[in-house]
This record gives sequence, C-alpha cells and structure tokens, in this order.
Amino acid sequence: MHTKTLKVMVISIVIMLTIQGTAAASGPFGPPQPVSRPAGGLHTGFGYWLQEDKFKNNEEYISRQQQIYSELGYGFQKNWDLYARVGLSGQKLFDAFSPTTTATTTSKNDFSENWKFFSTLGAKGFYPLHPAFGIGAFVQGTYYFSDFTDNVTGIQSGAPFTVELGLKNLWDVSAGIGFQATIPWGINLYIGPYLYYAEAKVSPSANITGLALTSGETILRNNTVFGGFAGIDAPLSKGFRLQIEGKYADRLSGGAAVTYSY
Amino acid sequence: MKSYLFAVTLFCVVLAAGCAHKPSVVSDPAPSAAAPPAQQVMAALKAEQSPAPLPEVSAKTVSGNLDDYQDIEDPDKGREAEKITIADPLEPFNRAMYHFNDKLYFWVLKPVAQGYSKAVPEPARVGVSNFYTNLSFPIRFVNSLLQANFAGAASELGRFIINTVWGIGGLLDPASSKEINLSKQTVDFGQTLGVYGVGQGFYIHWPLLGPSSPRDTLGTVGDVFLYPSIYFGPWYVWAGSRVYERVNDTSLQIGDYESMKEASIDPYVAVRDAYVQYRLKMIKHKGGPPPAGVSGLLEKD
Repeated sequence: MHTKTLKVMVISIVIMLTIQGTAAASGPFGPPQPVSRPAGGLHTGFGYWLQEDKFKNNEEYISRQQQIYSELGYGFQKNWDLYARVGLSGQKLFDAFSPTTTATTTSKNDFSENWKFFSTLGAKGFYPLHPAFGIGAFVQGTYYFSDFTDNVTGIQSGAPFTVELGLKNLWDVSAGIGFQATIPWGINLYIGPYLYYAEAKVSPSANITGLALTSGETILRNNTVFGGFAGIDAPLSKGFRLQIEGKYADRLSGGAAVTYSY
Repeated sequence: MKSYLFAVTLFCVVLAAGCAHKPSVVSDPAPSAAAPPAQQVMAALKAEQSPAPLPEVSAKTVSGNLDDYQDIEDPDKGREAEKITIADPLEPFNRAMYHFNDKLYFWVLKPVAQGYSKAVPEPARVGVSNFYTNLSFPIRFVNSLLQANFAGAASELGRFIINTVWGIGGLLDPASSKEINLSKQTVDFGQTLGVYGVGQGFYIHWPLLGPSSPRDTLGTVGDVFLYPSIYFGPWYVWAGSRVYERVNDTSLQIGDYESMKEASIDPYVAVRDAYVQYRLKMIKHKGGPPPAGVSGLLEKD
C-alpha cells in the first residue's frame, strides 16, 4: 500500500517538474503534510504574504506583491490535500517608469496598483517515512482575475505625455518537494526546493521613446525558476495553527497564516 | 400631524398596557433558537414537550401521620405556578391571521421549501443558514451591550471574527465547535426592552411575521436597522434576501410545525402560549448564561 502511494507521489513529482501549468509562484506552500485532522476534513486559513521577484524582458524589474487571502482546503487522512485561496493583492513594479534617456522625464518611477482579486489552487501529497519525518510534493498555481494598471505623466523632448501601462493576465505556477520533521509540542519544521514560472503581459497605451516598457506589448517572465522554501507550522490552541514561511528565488519572500482544522 | 400624534399616543397607551400586563412568573431557561418568531415558538414548544423533572421526595419513613407528608411536594404545584397568560383582546383578528399564516405555510412556504431542499443539499443549506446568522451579528452584539451582558457581547464579537475569517465569510461555524465553544446569544431589541422593564402588552399575530406583541413589534423595527443588508442595495434586494432566508430556514425544519399542530388541541393557543413563555424566558435570562467558552477565557487559571 505504501509502495503504491510512493509510486504515485514520485510520478506526480515528475509530472509537476516537467509540465508547466497555467497558473503563478506567489503565496506560501505550507507544510508538506496537510493540516487537516488525522481522519481528514476541512481546514480554513487566513494569511498575509509578501512576494518579491525579479521579472525581465530586456531589462530586469523588481516586483513586489502584498497579499491577504482566505484559504479553504480539504485533507484526505493527512496524506492528500486540495486547497484554494481567494485574496486581494497589490502590485509594485520598481523602475517600470524610469526613463532610459535624458530627453525623457517622468512624474514617478514605479508602477503601483492595489486591491486586485486573485485565486490560488493547489494540491499536495505526503508520505510519512517515520512517525516524525516525511516527504511530500505539491503543485500550486495562482491567477489574477483583474489587470493591474497605472498611469504616468512626463515630458519627452519638450512635449508632455500621459501613458497608461497595464499588467495583464498575471499568473504563475510552482511545484516542489518538501521534507518535514515533527519536533516536540507538535511543531512541524519543513524545507524543500521548488521551481516555478510566472509571467504577465505588459500593455502600454502609447509608445514613448525612453520608456522601455512602452515599446509595444511584451511579456515579462520571472528571472529565476529555482528556489527554496522553509517554514514552521505550530499548533496554537482550540484547533488553530500558525504557519510562518519564507522562500527565496532571486528575492526573499515570506508570510504567515493562521489555519483552523474542522 | 393629528394622525402622527394619535399614533404616538396609541403607542404610549400600548406600552403602558404592556407594563400593566407584565406577568410575574417565569419558567426555566429556554434553549437557544433563531430570532424569527415562528422559530422561537417551535423552540419553546420543544422545551415544553420535555418532561419537567419531578421534585425529589425525601426518603423518610412514613408512619401514617399527616405530618409525615408535609415534606412531600405536590408535583403539579410547580406546573401551576409556571402557567403564564397574556391578554388577547384582538383574538378574532389574531385567529384570522394565524389561519392566514397557517395556509401560507402549507400552500406556499412548505412546497417551496421542499422543492428547494430537493435541489440544494443539506450542508449547503446549513451553510446559508450560518451565513445569515453571522450577518445578523450586529443585532446580537448591540443588544448584548444594551443589556450589560458584556460576556455575551464578547462571545458574539469572537464568533463574528472567527466565523468570518476562518468560516469562509460565515458559511461555516467553527466558533460553535467543541474546542472553541462560543455559543450564539439569543438576544434582540424586544428582549432588551423587556429587560428594561417594558411589558409585553397584549398578543398580536401579524400576517407573514407571526406571533408578537407591541413591545416585540417595536423591537423588530429596531432590529431591522441593525441588519446590515438593509443598507446595501434597494429595498427589494433586502426583502428578497429575507424571503430566501426564510425559505432556507424552513427547509431545515419541515415537520416541526406539523408535529406541534398534531399535538395541540388548539394550535392557536399553543402557539400563543409558547411564544409568551419563550419571550419571558429570554428576558429573564438575557439570552442564556454566559457561554462556557467565554467563562473559561475570563476565569483565572
């Protein structure tokens, strides 16, 4: 039975690592073992996540997202878990409006917009190798329902201009494996590698010389596809648990969530 | 202007009459139940149907003298003391409205609720019921504060936060779980008026709304202003939402009213008496004792 489960998990990991889904790498991955009760069941959560990335086409841009989300998941006997998140996110793209020539000046350098809905779907499996140690795999994707837009004004060769920049169809997908150790007091420590892909379509309302991102529609992609994550999942009281997690892939991201298992 | 003055005067008379008719005898705490009057009646009827514990008889040797029986209480003595009445000067009108509501239930509400329950699975209907209960948090919170029931208000605030955040907007009710154990306060504005000494007055059976009294009718108006959905969208959205809530709640308790009717000689009197008893119990106990979870949090280790 365990061998069969292990085989399914290995195949799942291979599929996850070789196929790109249609979703993004934001949000925590959580502990490899589902946080549901031993017999399985629903779990919910509420959390905050700060995601930083480097996006690139010809230039590199640092992206920062601040997300708050609500999570609903269903665990199958502490081994399999399906979960969904819905939340609101802000998006900053540093130096998106920074001029590349001295003939162009702009009113601001950074692209910024807040409170757009996003949704995340994920699945994870866990295989206990020992009562206090196990290995798991996950896949998770995020899609932004709304486009981010921001305006900038400026002067190009003496002529004033206003241009609107849109970040459209932002999505990402992540997959990875995690190792989990349970220490006294029911605290789970976990760590693992992951890979991910993220992209967004940049759509300017006009082509302004000296502004790199306004030269037609382009695709921004994440700079680094590999990363690592680590976290702690600790029981609070009355069925609540606290998750604190960080991950690194070009930039450091992190967040915390409080979950409740039914 | 004259009609306005007349209405105010009539209302004052009604309130004064209410104080005059305030019963002095109340019975045991009622089980928690939802706010709508029909549900209150059903909860009260269920409480009535449970057998009252018989008084304990001392295990004294009986010698045959009359003095030996002085310590034995009459089992019916307590029951007589718990008999509560309410003035019913509008009985012909009330009976007509009761029959109207009865037909409305059997001809419209029940068939709609039965069809709805076939289309929507029970967990989803329970989720909808939880959502509406969570939405009416301001009514319970404000009235707990008005009754100086601070433990109850804290319980309600905790329930609202937990159920909104970890209960997916109130669709789930983790606050009622065994571990968290924050029980819902059964409080409303009519009860608050009662706690402040306003008598219930006479019995009114409103069409659509069901059993009430002048005090509780005024309380219902107060509660409406604390119901959040009234502030979102036009009136028909709110009204439609209330109708849907009623259909959903009815779908979860089909059969309760039928059982009560079958068990009663005069269902109108049964509904009236149950309503009055239930309201008095609510007023006496201010929505019930503080929830165990709250007591536990407030107690020192």
